Amino acid sequence: MTSMIEMLNKVLVDLKKVGGVEASVVASRDGLLIASNIQSYGARAETFAAMSATMLGAAETATTELGKGVPDRVIVETEHGKLIATGAGSKALLIVLTDPDAGLGLILVELEKAAEKVKNIL
Amino acid sequence: MIQTGISKLDGYLKGGIPYGKSLIYYTSPGVEGNVFGMHTLYHNLSAGKKCVFVASSSNPQAIRDVFREFGWDLNDFSERLFIVDAYSSLVGSISKEKYVVVDPENIDSISNMLRKVMEELDESVIIIFESLSTVMDLCGEKETLAAIENWNKYGMVYDNVLIYNFTAWPYQRDTLEAIKHELFDAVITVGGIAERVIFGQYFGVLNANWSDIPPKSMLFRVLRPGGIRIFIPKILVTGPFDAGKSTFVHALSTRAVSVDRVGTTVALDHGHLDYKGFSADIFGTPGQERFDPIIKMLSGEAMGIFLVVDSTVPKDFVRAKHMLDITKAQGLPLVVVANKQDLSNALKPEEIRVHFNIPANVPIVPAVAAKGEGVFEAFDTLIEKITEVA
Repeated sequence: MTSMIEMLNKVLVDLKKVGGVEASVVASRDGLLIASNIQSYGARAETFAAMSATMLGAAETATTELGKGVPDRVIVETEHGKLIATGAGSKALLIVLTDPDAGLGLILVELEKAAEKVKNIL
Repeated sequence: MIQTGISKLDGYLKGGIPYGKSLIYYTSPGVEGNVFGMHTLYHNLSAGKKCVFVASSSNPQAIRDVFREFGWDLNDFSERLFIVDAYSSLVGSISKEKYVVVDPENIDSISNMLRKVMEELDESVIIIFESLSTVMDLCGEKETLAAIENWNKYGMVYDNVLIYNFTAWPYQRDTLEAIKHELFDAVITVGGIAERVIFGQYFGVLNANWSDIPPKSMLFRVLRPGGIRIFIPKILVTGPFDAGKSTFVHALSTRAVSVDRVGTTVALDHGHLDYKGFSADIFGTPGQERFDPIIKMLSGEAMGIFLVVDSTVPKDFVRAKHMLDITKAQGLPLVVVANKQDLSNALKPEEIRVHFNIPANVPIVPAVAAKGEGVFEAFDTLIEKITEVA
């Protein structure tokens, strides 16, 4: 059990080294926090995980209802940064928060790689 | 009898630990088991008991600092707390404590000091070992096992309670077996689990010779400050539209957030509750049928369910039952919350039971969520069902 969490934490720590990434969370599809690298935020990671899972789940329901398939990711942009949520296998999702000026290109590539790792760990 | 101070554990031990008995917290490596002994120590100091703490892996000042992380100030209890310093001599530093083990690498030196403490205090005290594993590492496995037998006998004679923190490093199999099954009156196992996607830490009673042992383990988390809390990662609150689910979640929670638009929940209410030694996260679903896919998605892995109904709208009871199907609630602990009891046309809980055909083993708790009435009664009832011994 501890080794799995250690592996997930390693993936999250590596993800934070990507320019512009401020925080990241692994949550279960049904909204439970699994691992997080979010210390700098006052918010509760549990709430963040639950809301992000709801968001991605709602997006998936919305697009599949319209016959447009499953979304690769949900990107939310605000004045202060971006939130990107992507599926990581059937059990989990991976969410990152970035600073407002972060370039999406590299982050999305790294996010996909990390999501693949999370999928394989779980 | 003394209490461990850890919710549910005292219940499992039929009230606590009788004087003259020994108990070990047997912890898997990588799990925060040492907090159990610390929690028990602080609980008993606060309860006015005299305690002895045997420091074997850090100096007494560092130990006081660690306690402070949990919001526990040991200096408040300097008259009742005696630290046996079995560490300072090891690193050649001067100890300020009254009881200092001269040679912590020699088990007899520790035994002599323990006997001295018991003789001098000469009354029922609680003795807590910071880390039995460290003692074993320094003094040898065989030597330590032999000594423990003696310490526990002495403890019995003096009517003390002896509590050990122990981390089950890869010691010899015989050593671990003796610790688990022979040397102590009670063994509490503390370990980690990875069950589907819930990663957590649990404790359970492996044996206790003064009580029948319930085959039940509890998830816990360690709070700083706070110590050990029983952890309930998900309690689901569901029910028909406008039954008062969000109001219920907010009334119950220490902190809560909601995603609501024009007065109705469209995504999720999420609340956190820290109460009576429990740390629980509450998920409130929307009620309208158009949100059923979200309800389905969020309801996985709940440990218990509140079904909130508006006691004045019997026609919604059909929808309420259907929601139990959507949330795959069968077999999970369930409490029905009969909300809006303050309205004149509200059905009484027993009328709802008949109307709704609710089995006798499902509790129905009357509530007025908007005024906070019945909310914690409902929580206590559900927790009782979640933690009850099968």
